[in-house]
Amino acid sequence: MATKRKRKRATVDAGELQMTAMIDVVFQLLIYFIVTIKPVDVVAHLDVFRPSPEKKQEQLQTPPKMIRIQIYPDGFTINDRAVGLKEMEVLLARLAGIDTKQTIMIMATALSRHEDLIRVLDLCAKSGLQNLSVVSTN
Amino acid sequence: MKKPREEGGINMTPMIDVVFQLIIFFVCTAALEQQAIDESIRLAMSPHGPAVEQKDPREVTVEVDAQGRISINRSYMNEVFLRNLLRNVVISHGQTTPVIIRAAGGAKHEDIRRVMDACAYAGLWKVSFAATKDKAK
Repeated sequence: MATKRKRKRATVDAGELQMTAMIDVVFQLLIYFIVTIKPVDVVAHLDVFRPSPEKKQEQLQTPPKMIRIQIYPDGFTINDRAVGLKEMEVLLARLAGIDTKQTIMIMATALSRHEDLIRVLDLCAKSGLQNLSVVSTN
Repeated sequence: MKKPREEGGINMTPMIDVVFQLIIFFVCTAALEQQAIDESIRLAMSPHGPAVEQKDPREVTVEVDAQGRISINRSYMNEVFLRNLLRNVVISHGQTTPVIIRAAGGAKHEDIRRVMDACAYAGLWKVSFAATKDKAK
């Protein structure tokens, strides 16, 4: 009886998988991934219209109907009227309520920060305005 | 009665070995893909912007850091080189190739302008700006 039990135990050991070593390795991998993983930011792409080089000359004389937003290093203007970000948001929402297809001309001065341009484009995207063209001025 | 069940068991060890090899392979290749962009550029926030849904395989990402240096795939270049490169892009992929300007929030507009002018010179008109929609915690 005793010898029979011993033999059975031996065969079971040989056929079974050694779990301990595998669990060790799996935990090592798990810890490695937890330590190294870095969450990725969600990226948005704000599309703008750019004139092709031939049209550059006619772009300079702006039609009066167009809405002009100017970005200066220290603030914004809409059609030559100085506004804050909140006011601009309200104005753009109102404009978008009339027509989302109208052209908004965003003129950024050379020394303004890129962040401010993105802010304006973001407000336009929020209101649903689609025809945005970005022009650089001095 | 018990004997046939023991013999029917599959030996798992080689399968686990192969699975681990596959995991390590995919992790390494995914990490290589991310190296193409400059992680140090801090994009401006745009919570309302449209999220990127599909990528055009032709798209060119031009990066501008806070100091105004222009780079593509982490190699810095001057304006003349960028113009020639974009011209070659137009020749090989056409004028509808999208250009994504991935600029730091603190960059001056004149540096962005240099990139936009190079795009206009090459005839590329599908220009968009990359911004962070949602910051990962």
